[in-house]
Formats: sequence, C-alpha cells, structure tokens
Amino acid sequence: MKLVKRENGTWQYGLNPIEADLLNRLLNQFPFTENGPAEITRTDQDPKVAEREKLLNESLAEHRKELQQQGLKLLIKKSKSRVQSQRLILNAEQREILLQILNDIRIGCWVALGKPDSMEPESFNHTAQELAQHHLMNLAGYFEHHLIGQE
Amino acid sequence: MPSVAEPVTIPRPVIRKQTRSDDDLGPTYYVICWNDPVNLMVYVSHVFMKIFRWNKQTADKHMREVHEKGKSVLVREGAEKAEFYVHQLQNYKLQATMERAE
Repeated sequence: MKLVKRENGTWQYGLNPIEADLLNRLLNQFPFTENGPAEITRTDQDPKVAEREKLLNESLAEHRKELQQQGLKLLIKKSKSRVQSQRLILNAEQREILLQILNDIRIGCWVALGKPDSMEPESFNHTAQELAQHHLMNLAGYFEHHLIGQE
Repeated sequence: MPSVAEPVTIPRPVIRKQTRSDDDLGPTYYVICWNDPVNLMVYVSHVFMKIFRWNKQTADKHMREVHEKGKSVLVREGAEKAEFYVHQLQNYKLQATMERAE
C-alpha cells in the first residue's frame, strides 16, 4: 500500500492485488471482536459515574455500528487484472473511517489476546485462534501505518 | 497658521455582560490519555491533531509523554467538555479518562 497522490482533500493509494483483497476482507468482516466495557474515569467517586459510563458505552456501540456501515462503502472494486495495482481514493472523512476501523480491529485483537504488554509473538500461547488474532492485529497495524505514516 | 484641534469624541467602551456555562460553575476535570502497548505512535499523534486541532509538534509532545511517562494530561475542562473529549478519544480507541482536578 503506497500513497500515490494527495490533492484537493483526497488521498490516492495504490495497493497490490493481495493488499486489496486483504483490506476488503477486513472491511467486509468488521467487527471481529466484542466491544469491551469502557471506563470514563479511574478515580472519580461521583455517583453519576455509572450513568456517564453507560452513556459512553452506548455512544461507542452506536459509533461502531456507523463505522461498520460506512466501511462497507469503502470496499475496493475488483480489478480484472490480477497483477495491476488497485486504487483506493479517499476523502478526509473516509480516511478517518478506515483508520478507525483498522484500529478497532487492532485493539479488539489485543484485548482478545488478554492485553499482553509485549507485542512479540513469544508472549502469546500458540493456539490457532491466538495466532490468527495476532496476525490480524499486525495486518490492521500494517494498513494503519501506510494510511497515515507516509505524510 | 496654527491649527485648531477639533474636539474628539471618544466612544464609550461597550461592556458586554459575561455569560457562564454550567461548566464554568462546576468542578474541572483533567482529560488524561493512558499508555498502552498497542496503539501506534503515529496513530496517537494523528488522533490528538484531529481532536484538539493541535499542530504536529504539540501532538507529538503529548504522544511521547504518554509513551514515556505512562500518561499525559491533554486538557483541563468542565465536566461536559471533558466528557465530550473522552468520548471522542475512545471512539478512536485511545485509553482516555476524565479525572477530577484538585
């Protein structure tokens, strides 16, 4: 995945067919994991905290649903050629949506792996499911990095 | 020929009545971003720039603080605005909370 051009508020990326296929799969199958409960504070003892946390979790769930719907609109049309690179053209809003989806996948996999301190594969048990989650986490990170790391 | 200065009328300053939102009256909160080993550094900076409209230098400074010190106080705001920022940051999956300022 490579940033080809940036002009007039759009970003144009070139992806090889494998990358395009993988990105489509990620978008098609998002979300992969459950949304864990979110905390709004670590120290505040205010009795309203529970209510605030409920609102936060509802808002996050709603946002995720929107991401899912918007993500499907970003699917890359299949090219007839198996070799030719494919183009992904995003405006600023679409780019943010894709970024959030990818990071949601990355964080979701990390949570599913038990929130390990180390990202090295040695720190996980090697069940097939855990290995798959580890690969998925890295894949999402790969796309994230190429989406915003080339500016 | 000596010139005669014309009288100048100085306009009276307009004193606008200050209005205060509920946030000004209640306690204030620190919006804190906590470190985790999974969010990419470039991503964290990007989110700070997006949400707080900071320049890259400020965003990177806070990102490094999160990474090196375990947390960074991003802003100090009233309850409503602090809560808004926490929602925004958590939508991006950053570990952010609001903690009451002393």
